[in-house]
Amino acid sequence: MLKDMFKKTYTVIDSHHKVAKKNTAEEPSIPEGLWKKCNKCGQPIYVEDVKNNYYVCPKCGGYFRVHAYRRIEMLMDEGTFQEWDKEMEFSNPLDFPGYEKKVLAIQEKTKLNEAVVTGMGTIKGNPAAVGVCDARFIMSSMGHVMGEKITRMVERATVEKMPVIIFACSGGARMQEGIVSLMQMAKTSAALKKHHEAGQLFISVLTDPTTGGVTASFAMLGDIILAEPGALIGFAGPRVIQQTIGQKLPEGFQRAEFLLEHGFVDKIVERHEQRDVIGDILRMHRKKAGAEQDFETGVNEGKQQADAGTENGRLRAVKNSGKSAWDTVLLSRDGGRPVATDYINAIFDDFMEFHGDRYFKDDGAVVGGIATFRGIPVTVIGQQKGRTTRENIRRNFGMPSPEGYRKALRLMKQAETFGRPIICFVDTPGAFCGLEAEERGQGEAIARNLFEMASLTVPVLSLVIGEGGSGGALAMAVANEVWMMENAIYSILSPEGFASILWKDSKKAAEAARVMKITAADLYEQGLIEEIISEAEPASPETMPVIAGIIRERMGSFLKKYETMAAEEIREQRYQRFRRI
Amino acid sequence: MFEKILIANRGEIAVRIIRACREMGIKTVAVYSEADRDSLHTLLADEAICIGPAPSTQSYLNMERILAATVAMKAEAIHPGFGFLSENARFAELCEKCSIAFIGPSAEIINRMGNKSEARKTMMEAGVPVVPGGKEPVRHVDEALKLAKEIGFPVMIKASSGGGGKGMRVSYGEEDFAANFQNAQMESIKGFSDDTMYLERYVEKPRHIEFQIMADKFGNVVHLGERDCSIQRRHQKVLEESPSVAISEELRRQMGETAVRAARAVGYENAGTIEFLLDKNKNFYFMEMNTRIQVEHPVTEMVSGLDLIKEQICVAAGEPLSVSQKDVKIQGHAIECRINAENPAKHFMPCPGLITNVHFPGGNGVRVDTHIYKDYRVPANYDSMLMKLIVHGRDRKEAIAKMRSALGELVIEGIDTNLDFQYEILSNYVYEDGQAVDTDFIPAYFPDYVK
Repeated sequence: MLKDMFKKTYTVIDSHHKVAKKNTAEEPSIPEGLWKKCNKCGQPIYVEDVKNNYYVCPKCGGYFRVHAYRRIEMLMDEGTFQEWDKEMEFSNPLDFPGYEKKVLAIQEKTKLNEAVVTGMGTIKGNPAAVGVCDARFIMSSMGHVMGEKITRMVERATVEKMPVIIFACSGGARMQEGIVSLMQMAKTSAALKKHHEAGQLFISVLTDPTTGGVTASFAMLGDIILAEPGALIGFAGPRVIQQTIGQKLPEGFQRAEFLLEHGFVDKIVERHEQRDVIGDILRMHRKKAGAEQDFETGVNEGKQQADAGTENGRLRAVKNSGKSAWDTVLLSRDGGRPVATDYINAIFDDFMEFHGDRYFKDDGAVVGGIATFRGIPVTVIGQQKGRTTRENIRRNFGMPSPEGYRKALRLMKQAETFGRPIICFVDTPGAFCGLEAEERGQGEAIARNLFEMASLTVPVLSLVIGEGGSGGALAMAVANEVWMMENAIYSILSPEGFASILWKDSKKAAEAARVMKITAADLYEQGLIEEIISEAEPASPETMPVIAGIIRERMGSFLKKYETMAAEEIREQRYQRFRRI
Repeated sequence: MFEKILIANRGEIAVRIIRACREMGIKTVAVYSEADRDSLHTLLADEAICIGPAPSTQSYLNMERILAATVAMKAEAIHPGFGFLSENARFAELCEKCSIAFIGPSAEIINRMGNKSEARKTMMEAGVPVVPGGKEPVRHVDEALKLAKEIGFPVMIKASSGGGGKGMRVSYGEEDFAANFQNAQMESIKGFSDDTMYLERYVEKPRHIEFQIMADKFGNVVHLGERDCSIQRRHQKVLEESPSVAISEELRRQMGETAVRAARAVGYENAGTIEFLLDKNKNFYFMEMNTRIQVEHPVTEMVSGLDLIKEQICVAAGEPLSVSQKDVKIQGHAIECRINAENPAKHFMPCPGLITNVHFPGGNGVRVDTHIYKDYRVPANYDSMLMKLIVHGRDRKEAIAKMRSALGELVIEGIDTNLDFQYEILSNYVYEDGQAVDTDFIPAYFPDYVK
C-alpha cells in the first residue's frame, strides 16, 4: 500500500502569480436557494427543474404541494381564467382571540384572500368553474369564507350550466370558527346536490392531503373523483387513528392508491396528464354539439361494411354451421376468445376507465368508464376475463363480486345523470361464489341492479360476447336490447351444473347444452334476444376488426333508433321487453 | 492564479491534473468515492474528500456534493477532467453561480456544441464543411435521386428508423441509385414499417482526424496540430498518434485554420477539439466539437512541447495563452496506446480486480500516465482504462519501434488487459505503413476480435 508514503511536493511559487491575485474575486460559496432538498427523498433538486416538471421531484417522483395560482396556470388555457369573489370579507364567528391577526398575517404572506381560489375559464377549450385549495393558508382548512366561496361558485356554475372542478387539499375544518366551520360541510354539499340534480358535472381532484371535514363533504361528492399519486386522503388523520387503536398502520394506508383499491377514487392521474385527462372528461360531458354530424357520416360509412343478409338469413347461416351446442359452449369459453376490453378498444374511441363502487372495493372482474362512439359519449361496462393466469387472478376469471355490480350500477346511474347511452359487454361464468361475496350481499347486489336498471331513462344495450352465466350475467343485461355473438351462450346454469342436478352426472354436459337451448340461435328463436352478431370464424384478436366493424354498424343503428325516444318511452320499452316474457 | 483546485474526476486524468498543479504551486483537492479510497489520485492530492458511494451517479456525477466539497475545502476552481461532468452545461453554470471557476468553456458553449444540429448549423454558418445532406426526409425514388445529385455521389441511403445496417445502402452513382434506394426502403418497410429515408454524402474510407484547439479570454485561438484516431473499435479509440501520415503540411494548415475559424465562430475559450472525417480524396468534414480535455491529449503535448493541462488552468485563471500560432512547432512523432482492463478474447469484457504485480517501461521518450500500482484493486464501477502509454520518437518509424519496445516491457499481472492486442496492432504491416489506415482498420484486420 502506498498510503502516507508520498511526499507533499508542490513547488512554492509566490512570485507574480500571487501578487496578481484579484481581491475582488468572490469567495466560492453556494448561493441561498440554488437547490433545495426534496422533502421526500432528501436529494438536492433545482427549483427550475421542479417548476418545469409540474412541481414533481425529478429524482424521486414525489409530489410537492402546488400554489393555487400555479395549479390554475398548469390546468387552464392561457389567459382564460377569471377569478370570482376574489376579495371576501373576513369573519370571526366565535370572536376567537388572535384569529384575525393570524389571517391578516397569512394574507400578507401568501397574497391570498382565503384558502381557496375560485373562478372560471377553459380547459382545452371546454369551459368550467374551478376551485383550487391552497395549503399555505392555515392548511387550507374550511371556514366560513372558504365554504361560502365554494358554495357561490357551485351555485353560479349550476345557473350558468357549467361543470365544476375542485382541487381539494385540506386539513379539515377551521378550528378557530368552531361549529360554523362544521356547517360549511353541509352548505357546500347541499349546493353540490342541487348542481347534480340539474344534471351538471362535478369533478373532484384529491391532492395531498385531503382530510377531515373536506373529505367528508365536497371532496368525496364528485361524479368523477380523480386523485394525485401518493396523496394522503382520509377522514381521520393517520396519527389520530394510530393513537386511538394503538396499532401501527400499514404501509400506503390512506394513500390515493389505497383509496383506488377500496373503490373511492375513479382514477389516479399524474400531474402532467391532468390537463389532458380533465379536458377529455369535460369534452365527453359537453352537450353533443357537432356529434350529430359524426353520427350521420358514421352510419353511411357503416353501411358499406355491413354483413350480408337479413336477420333470418344470418340465423339460417348460424344454424347450418354444423356446430353442436356443446361446440358453442367450448368456443364461448375459449382462452383465446376476445375479452370485454378487446371489444371496447376496437369499437369505441378514447375509452377512459373509472374505478370503484364507492363502498368497499374496485372489482377487477368489471371494467367500466366513458368513451365516445362516432363522437357520441357513451358509458361502457364489461365483465372482464383475463388471458393469462396472473391477469385472471386480478379479474377473478370474470366472476364479479358484489362490488363489481355496485360499480356497474354506479356508472349506469352516472350515465343516466348525463344522458349517455349504456353499452354492456356480458362475459361471465357467473357471479363470484364465495364467503366474502355472500358477506357483502351478492344476492342483494344482483337484485339491486335488476331493480335499478329497469327504470333507467337512457338506452341500454347488452352484448353477450362469451359466457352469459345466469344471474351474474342478467345483472348487466336488463337492457332495451340484448344481442349475442354467434358463439356466445346465455343460460340459467352451466351445462355441467344442469347435468349434475337433473341427471346426477356432470359428464352429460354436452347433452345438457343441447336441451338447455343456450346458444345465440336458440335464444333468438325463443325471442329472448334481438340480434346475433355473426362470426365468420370464431372471434379472435385477428378477426376483431371485422367483428368490430359489424358491431359498429349495428350499434350506430341502435343509437339512432333510441336517440329520438323520450326517457319515459325508453323505460317503458325496456319494461315491456321483460314483461312479455 | 488559483491557490487551490478541486479535481472532479478520478483515475489517471486526476493524477495527471494533480501533477500539473503541483508543478504550478497550486494545492489540490481530490474527491473520491468509497470505491476509490486507495486510488492514486486520493493518495497524491494535498487534501482528499469522500463524496459518496461507488456508483458514479452518487459520487463523481453528483454535482451538489462536488460543489459543496469545493466550497468546504475553499478551492477556487474545479477541473472536471474528461467524462463525468466535463461536458455538463448545468454543472458549468452552477460553478459560475457559486463563484467557482470551471476549467473549461462556458455553459452556453457546452450547450451549443453538445446539440448536434445546433453545432452543425453553427459550423455551416462559419464556413466549416459538414457532411452534405441528411436533413430532408425522402420517400420517392425520383425526388431522392434529385437530392442525391445535389448532395453528390457516393451517397449513403439511410432508413429513418434503421439500425444495425438494416435499411442502409451506399450508391456510387446514378446508375445504381434507384435499385439501392428501393432495396433499402423495402428493408425499412419490412423491418420497421417506415418508408422515410435520408440521404447523405458517403464518406469513403474515412480517417478520424481531430484538431486540438486552445483559446483564451482575449480572443487568441491557436491549433496544436492534429491527432489521427482512426484505430477504433466500436467508436472507441484504441490508439492515437500525431501527426497523421495522411496530412500534408498544406492540408494541416488548411484544416487547422478551419478549426480555428470554427472555434472563433462560437467564441470558444479553453481547450477543445474539433473532430473531422477525412475521406480518401482528402476532403474533410466537421463531425463534432469536444468541449473538454481529451484522453489522447498527451500525443499533442509530446509533439508540441506544451502542457495542455497547465495551459487550461492558466486560461481559466484569466491569463493569455503562452504561445501564438507561429510559435507552435510540431516536432517528431508521438503514439499513445490505451491500456484497458479488458479481455480481447471475450469481446473486450471488462476485467476489474486486484493487480498483483506491475512493471512500467521507461527510457527516453517514454511516458506513462496511470493511476495503477502493485496491489491496487481496479473497481468495477468505472471506465476500464488503466494507463496511457505514450512514446515520442524522431519520426513515425522510431515511435512505432519505441512503442513496441515499451509494450514489451510493460507488465500488468492479476487482471486481463488489452496489452497484447495493442502489440498486434503495432506489428500489423498495414498499420506500420500507415497509408491505408481508416476507421475500419480493426474490423478489417482483426475480424476475430470484433465478432
